[in-house]
Amino acid sequence: MKKILITGLIAGCVLFILSYGGLFLGVRYFPALFVDYNNPLFNSDGSRDVLFYMHAFIISFALSWFWDRFKTLFKGTFIMRGLEFGFVYSIIALLPVMWISFSSLDINVIMVISWFLYGLAQAIIAGLVFAKVNP
Amino acid sequence: MLYLSVTGFVLQGQSGYEAPRIKWVVSQNSNLSVNGSTNINKFSCVVPAYDRTDTLFISKSKSNKEVSLSGSIGLNISSFDCHNSGMTKQLQKTLKEKQFPALHIRFLSLNKFPDLNAQPEMITGLVDIEIAGVSKRFEINYQINRDDQKTIHLLGSRVINFSDFNLVPPRKLGGMIKTKDELSVEFHMNIKAIQ
Repeated sequence: MKKILITGLIAGCVLFILSYGGLFLGVRYFPALFVDYNNPLFNSDGSRDVLFYMHAFIISFALSWFWDRFKTLFKGTFIMRGLEFGFVYSIIALLPVMWISFSSLDINVIMVISWFLYGLAQAIIAGLVFAKVNP
Repeated sequence: MLYLSVTGFVLQGQSGYEAPRIKWVVSQNSNLSVNGSTNINKFSCVVPAYDRTDTLFISKSKSNKEVSLSGSIGLNISSFDCHNSGMTKQLQKTLKEKQFPALHIRFLSLNKFPDLNAQPEMITGLVDIEIAGVSKRFEINYQINRDDQKTIHLLGSRVINFSDFNLVPPRKLGGMIKTKDELSVEFHMNIKAIQ
């Protein structure tokens, strides 16, 4: 349990920097991709900002548990294990969620694809951290 | 009785404004636009066609230093079109359309009586703008002229802030996308004068 929490915390810190840093750079250099977020569908009063910034840690702790439970199934170098872990998570969890989100919410396909790629990148990075810290 | 009659006439003679007042009928092809920006884009929201016929009254003092302009126009918040459905819904939500479905501009005065010829004239005037139930007084810059069809064109512009009306500009993705507080409001009223 302690191993899961420590691994999750390390991955959370790494993801926090890379995810929000990447998002900041994305907003700055590819602003056109973010215009459709000016929509009441997305929270606009700042009341959920803390929850938004906690996401890196929520996903890291969840993935850390998943990794600890199934890590023996991922073989090869730490890069291969991290990549496979990221793809497995994306296909099992992300793809169905993105599917139902696109089918039910007033969002465009670019937005859904960007969320999928964002989640995939987060899972691969977390997988690489887990493969190193908790092999 | 005689005293009252005499003083009444004197007071009437000294009253601020000359009769008669001129009636200005605001026609339906008037429009209003609101321009703003976020840290990622600019937006322009328009009420493309004014859907009512409102009347303003203008009268001037003998000195021509004070010009009273009374009356108001009301605009439905739901009539705004930001050329992007999400932006339109966001503006309507920010302006609290469900609680306060209309914004109002109440005209109060002009700094001079306009000459009303083909040459555009720059004047200023005071208005009360009411948005989301909060009213605030502003000095507006006007450009006014009258065309060959005797239609008066009154163009008004003013920079206002969301915060002037206790409104919070929207912010998204944990504050990474922020709408600026400043909004530029422009309106173009086509008016017919009736003596």
